Amino acid sequence: MNIKKYLALTRAGIMESLHFRLGTLVMTAGNLLYLIVVYFLWKSIFASSETEVVNGMTFTDTLIYLVLATALFGFMEMYTVWEMGRNIQSGKIVLDLLKPMEYRSYLFWSYSGSFVTNFFFTVLPTFIVVGIVTHGAIPFGINLLFFAVSVTLGVMINYSIDFIVGTICLYTESIWGINIMKQVIVLLLSGATVPIAFFPEPLKTVVYYLPFQSIYNAPLTLLLDVNPSSEAVLKTIGTQIIWCIVMTAVGKLFWKISLRQITVNGG
Amino acid sequence: MQKKGFSFYLKIYCKILAQDLKSKMSYRADFIISIIGMIFTNIAGFASFWILFRNFSSINGWGYYEILFLYGFSLVSLTPVQCFFDNNWSLRMYVYSGDFIKYCFRPINLFFYYQSEVFDIKGLGQLAFGIGTLIYSWVKLGLDFTPLMLLKMTVFLITASLVMVALQNAAAATCFWINNSFYVLDLVTRFKDYAKYPVTIFSPVFRFIFTFIMPIAFIAYYPSLVILRPDEIPLLSWLSPLFGCMFFFLSYKFWMYGAMKYSGTGS
Repeated sequence: MNIKKYLALTRAGIMESLHFRLGTLVMTAGNLLYLIVVYFLWKSIFASSETEVVNGMTFTDTLIYLVLATALFGFMEMYTVWEMGRNIQSGKIVLDLLKPMEYRSYLFWSYSGSFVTNFFFTVLPTFIVVGIVTHGAIPFGINLLFFAVSVTLGVMINYSIDFIVGTICLYTESIWGINIMKQVIVLLLSGATVPIAFFPEPLKTVVYYLPFQSIYNAPLTLLLDVNPSSEAVLKTIGTQIIWCIVMTAVGKLFWKISLRQITVNGG
Repeated sequence: MQKKGFSFYLKIYCKILAQDLKSKMSYRADFIISIIGMIFTNIAGFASFWILFRNFSSINGWGYYEILFLYGFSLVSLTPVQCFFDNNWSLRMYVYSGDFIKYCFRPINLFFYYQSEVFDIKGLGQLAFGIGTLIYSWVKLGLDFTPLMLLKMTVFLITASLVMVALQNAAAATCFWINNSFYVLDLVTRFKDYAKYPVTIFSPVFRFIFTFIMPIAFIAYYPSLVILRPDEIPLLSWLSPLFGCMFFFLSYKFWMYGAMKYSGTGS
């Protein structure tokens, strides 16, 4: 495999996203504002509760969890469904299919540049600010390594889900509806709106068997765990790897079958 | 430009609306999927709310049904912006591609003509959901139901929605100056989700910001106080209709200022 052609796409992506600096700036500012809202909301929620620890999570834990979940959401959001949907509607997809690269990889790598810029402009600043606000409550140690591995797997699972949903657009020619459904399901069931630890019992067990919690909940749980037992780490990352393989395989197969479906009107 | 009467604009609006609905109906699958997506969004919003209150019985002295009332109120007051002003989302595309210039050559109000072009029928589902939530919490709270209350509700719902419309107009209009106003719009949209919590959870500084600079407190909190806590209505609640109109007017001026500055792309 020639990695060079992929990195060329990454480079182009970085340059493209640096061109829209203002968007990145607004996104960072938005994340910080969001941090403030989440801070006050959960502070008053915890103030209303009798105990300091609710479902094994303190106020600080919850804050770090939710704010970083949002930062990760901005980091992972690739607008794949939009991109695919629009390309299918406009017919541009034909040109992408002719490229000497699998469409699935092409789409991923052409976006990969934004991962680099997003990391430096949104994730890292948010991480630092959260660290300062919580007086260094984010544990520093081996957990950061697990977090990084877990986030990478999360990105791949998220992309696979997006790609499957985007493939559905080939049949429905609807973008907005499909995308909003996906987004809502992923955000709720991955724990990005309310940490999964707060879910009531039967729902919690069900959610742990779904792939969505591997996107945000898995890396964040690993990050917040000060003394992770190797068993817990293996279980979390193992689950992620399994989902990653399953979703990628399903996505590839589904795309292969659906490719025959494409109808492009004229040129 | 000659001043045209209200009935003239109403007639034009109905004509454009009919055309828009016809064109939407021709994409039936997209239409149905979008409606399902909207229902999903509302159910997920409600679910995260429900999960939260499974763990905590109140937020800052506000009980479950009171917050539910705020939630229903915000859903209803956010309907107009969804139904009538959805074209704001496309504004940046029109401005970027230069197609916006076509709106400038019509002998009717530019803002009116632009917004009237799209009527988003999905918002009606949200309206139904919101009204249901309002009635449910209304009954559970044991509030009286008199014509006066209904009148108050209507007036305050309308003014609350003017605030949201104003926020969105202003956010959309930023595209006349910056390339990618999507982030600004997205940010504002994300913040409206927090309109359903009482503004008292914030510290004084942010209470000020969310009241006067980014006035999300007027979307549900201040107007609902008139119904929910009739004994201790702050002055700001009574003033909220005034603020609603003022914010709307300001955003309209801002939008028009941007539009008048627009010089097209030359194509």
